[in-house]
Amino acid sequence: MKLLSRIISAVLVLCALGILVFGPRANQSIPADRRGDVVVEYWEKWVGPEADGIQQIVSDFNDTVGRQKHIYVQCMSMSNITQKTLTAIAGGMPPDVAGLWHDVVLQFAALDAVEPLEKMAADHGITADSYKPVYWNACHYNGHLYALVSTPGAVALFYNTRLFHENADKLRRAGLDPDRPPRTLEELDRYAAALNTFVVDSHGRRHLDQAGYLPMEPGWYITNTPIWFGTDVWEENAGRFVFTDPRVVRACQWIQGYSLRLGAEAVNEFTSQSDIKGGFATPQNAFIAGKVVMEQQGPWMANYIHHLRPQMDHDWAAAPFPSAVAQQDVTFCPFDALMIPKGAKHKREAFEFIAYVNRQDVMEKLCKLHCKNSPLARVSDDFLHHHPNPYIGVFEELARSPNAHGPIQCPIAQEAGSQFQAAIQGLVSAGRAMQPAEAMALLEQDMQAKWESYLQEQRIRREKQ
Amino acid sequence: MLRTRAQSGDFLKGLAFLSPWLIGFCVFLLLPIGLSLYYSLCDYSLLQPPIFRGLSNYRQLVHDRLFWQVLKNSLLYAAMALPAGLVVSLALALLLNQKVPGQSVFRTIIFIPSLVPTIAAAALWLWLLNQKSGLINLLLGMIGIPGPGWLTSPRWVLPALALMSLWSVGNTVIIYLAGLQDVPRELYEAAELDGANAWRKFRHVTLPMISPVIFFNLVIAIIGVLQVFDAPYLMTAGGPNHASYFFTYYLYDCGFTYLKMGYASAMAWIQLLIVLVLTGLAFLSSRWWVFYQGK
Amino acid sequence: MRVAGRKTSPTNIAAAYVALLIAGAAMLLPFFWLVSTSLKADDRVLQTPPRWLPDPVRLDNYRRVMQSPTSNFPLWTRNTLIVAALEVVGVTFSSSLVAYGFARIRFRGRGVLFALMLGTMMIPFPVVMVPLYRIFRFLGDHSGMAWLGTFRPLWVPAWFGSAFSIFLLRQFFVTIPDELSEAARIDGCSEWGIYWRIILPLSRPALSVVALFTFMYVWRDFLGPLVYLQRPTQYTLALGLQAFQSQNGGTSWNLLMAAAVLVIAPVIVLFFVAQRTFIEGIATTGMKG
Repeated sequence: MKLLSRIISAVLVLCALGILVFGPRANQSIPADRRGDVVVEYWEKWVGPEADGIQQIVSDFNDTVGRQKHIYVQCMSMSNITQKTLTAIAGGMPPDVAGLWHDVVLQFAALDAVEPLEKMAADHGITADSYKPVYWNACHYNGHLYALVSTPGAVALFYNTRLFHENADKLRRAGLDPDRPPRTLEELDRYAAALNTFVVDSHGRRHLDQAGYLPMEPGWYITNTPIWFGTDVWEENAGRFVFTDPRVVRACQWIQGYSLRLGAEAVNEFTSQSDIKGGFATPQNAFIAGKVVMEQQGPWMANYIHHLRPQMDHDWAAAPFPSAVAQQDVTFCPFDALMIPKGAKHKREAFEFIAYVNRQDVMEKLCKLHCKNSPLARVSDDFLHHHPNPYIGVFEELARSPNAHGPIQCPIAQEAGSQFQAAIQGLVSAGRAMQPAEAMALLEQDMQAKWESYLQEQRIRREKQ
Repeated sequence: MLRTRAQSGDFLKGLAFLSPWLIGFCVFLLLPIGLSLYYSLCDYSLLQPPIFRGLSNYRQLVHDRLFWQVLKNSLLYAAMALPAGLVVSLALALLLNQKVPGQSVFRTIIFIPSLVPTIAAAALWLWLLNQKSGLINLLLGMIGIPGPGWLTSPRWVLPALALMSLWSVGNTVIIYLAGLQDVPRELYEAAELDGANAWRKFRHVTLPMISPVIFFNLVIAIIGVLQVFDAPYLMTAGGPNHASYFFTYYLYDCGFTYLKMGYASAMAWIQLLIVLVLTGLAFLSSRWWVFYQGK
Repeated sequence: MRVAGRKTSPTNIAAAYVALLIAGAAMLLPFFWLVSTSLKADDRVLQTPPRWLPDPVRLDNYRRVMQSPTSNFPLWTRNTLIVAALEVVGVTFSSSLVAYGFARIRFRGRGVLFALMLGTMMIPFPVVMVPLYRIFRFLGDHSGMAWLGTFRPLWVPAWFGSAFSIFLLRQFFVTIPDELSEAARIDGCSEWGIYWRIILPLSRPALSVVALFTFMYVWRDFLGPLVYLQRPTQYTLALGLQAFQSQNGGTSWNLLMAAAVLVIAPVIVLFFVAQRTFIEGIATTGMKG
């Protein structure tokens, strides 16, 4: 036994030494003929096919504009990109281009962590006319442009047409039309109720087998629900949080309503299928598996459906997500932002790449690869007709709509968002025990306090300068 | 008192040997602690210079509902995980101390889980605790208990995390094992001659003899339990509804997500105070139940 | 025949064995699940009801992990080994020096300093996390070499002693008889000579324990690398595993588990081989206060 231990230890040590001496080094992996170029470091959040998409664009840039202007872009995939970028900026070694989420654009701008881009944009001919207003406004803070879009989104209603037809009788009995999607939120609730199916197990307990609609499935944009009730949670002119606005409270009541009607337990159990992070991009995705008939998603869903379950390609359709108020074409527009951190070593070259991505032909190529709509004002016919998402027209219309909302224009939006998310989770899982009005009152109190202290800090900072 | 040459020579020698620690202590401990105290009195975003604000961070903390919630969560979790951990690891150590065939295999098996990197453990337990398809609920289902939504229910998420912490007690078990091996055999023999059975031997020989080890593990556990970060960070993002939002996690968010470093530093100081108080209590109580051999 | 001191009645042994089997199963089951998932095909990973044994078995997953384009497993292994080697040597050497000072040299204030050192074990990392970050940034700007975004913040502090290791080693050194040092001193040996040539060789078990503990800690450390390392090419294994997890879905569970198995395997083997040293080493340091 002793001898065996000795041999194993020796093998381990040899392996370790082997890796140490002969293992791979962290070389730059820059091709030899580009060694003299300016290397632009680009951090992106994507993995999988979306990472492949942007990598293609990066290669295109390197082979064309990059070669001309002696710029070489290196794209690195990062998890937790927001924190990593912040720590990198704080550490004095940020990337040259950071691909961040839409909801942190204002936070970074307010922290003075990123460079204003309007001058460089104007030099490249990128102005307010180039963009759809919702995205252009979302990239501004205090009158400066701090980001440009890499890929945008717009959320709409996805519904399973095959299941609609299979349940045509049930729908007609409820006085609903199986050949068209719901047009108001109240109609959505009725469609959903008619399409729920239950099973009873051996213990006599009722389980939700198929859900017509569940706000928490997937629930990515659940904190934006109030916009379909006529308001956002932040009032721009007054500069305050309005969680206690009756429309916001009604939105929370609507979300909670589903838990109350179906039972919080049943809802939790049902959504726990895909609550395992990673359940989204598998054939077990609730919408793709036919477990949920309608859901709120972005245009990229078409891509996932096509890859994970191609036989479903003709079984779905998209329509504007219905509102509770008399407003048409209400949507929330998330997007992926490209920003240049303060302290980046190669700002001008970094912007060359950003400008390239925003060229109409390049942008359309990227958005087709990601199966998303375009943030640009001008869109070619080719884009509309040869897009992997057959309903791209719906999304394009929505993104141009006057009722399209971007993220709230508040520097502490991220904190507010995660608090709101937590509050909604509480309402959903606690069921009747929690009242939306109460929860919203508490939330507004908390967030207003945080906002006040933020403003005070800014005042003091300005005084000291 | 006259210092002899030998004594002052010894002093210098002592200092020389201690120098690495002394330098490290000043640079990597004293200086950061001082800075941290200063930051806790400032508004500091790490990107801009700190601005002195006096006790405003502490005042804000008192009124911060989320702060009290994370404190409550951490203490609740500690109340669950600490005793359970100590009992389970001691029990396992006792078992592993018995001379059974395959002892070293069992020891390795018990120790392996503590080696699993937290992210893999988090992914694994996300699964095990899944309401519909997780192993835990499957097993409960086999004995007829319908398992709850462990990670999706505010009521069960803390016990779930405490349960998960029991899986990686291997470290503590090893230390107990070492302590058990130190118990003098003569004491056991004497107890047997007095006709003691297994339980009495445990109660009157083993426990007192390893009480210093228990104490050591207790203090280490107190220090560690408030710093739990990896699991909720990777599994629940503090949810649902902040039910699993722990102290260090909120600290990390304030510091590195919202860039309120001053606020985070103030929280860290409160954490230090709590640890000191709890450890102090442990030390005080040790007079009654910790028994040092031959001292 | 009675074995001295230890109860060996067959019923007790049997009972202990059964208890051990149950405990072992409880510990091993999740781990078995981990390995089983690592061998599952992509579309079978989240199958409900979940299956115990993968079908089909995809050993290929391990190859995919090692050759994955977005992650660089061999590089991360090398990084972790580098940091581990530097930290293990650093901690063992510096802690033994300091422990020697505390244990074998009598000088004024020794007790106070020792108590102070023990007290530092109580400082939670978050207290110093942010200022340390700032200090490393300052060092990076003013010392002519980079600190943040390199391995330095991870291993340099290790060369200044670790309180836990100092404590362990000091306890051990105290048990070495004074006569040995005295005899050497009379023979004209310097303090350093006593340390290097007499005490250290005698302390092999304790030093091994410190080295092993440090190694295992470094192998698993997540928060340190998370805060100090910035580019994927520098990641250690614990941090790099995150690359298999995506933020909005799309986690390759089977690959993540396979990567985890690869990360744990060497340490398991290490522990199995070194356990006796481990346990005996801790025992001899005497946790008696």
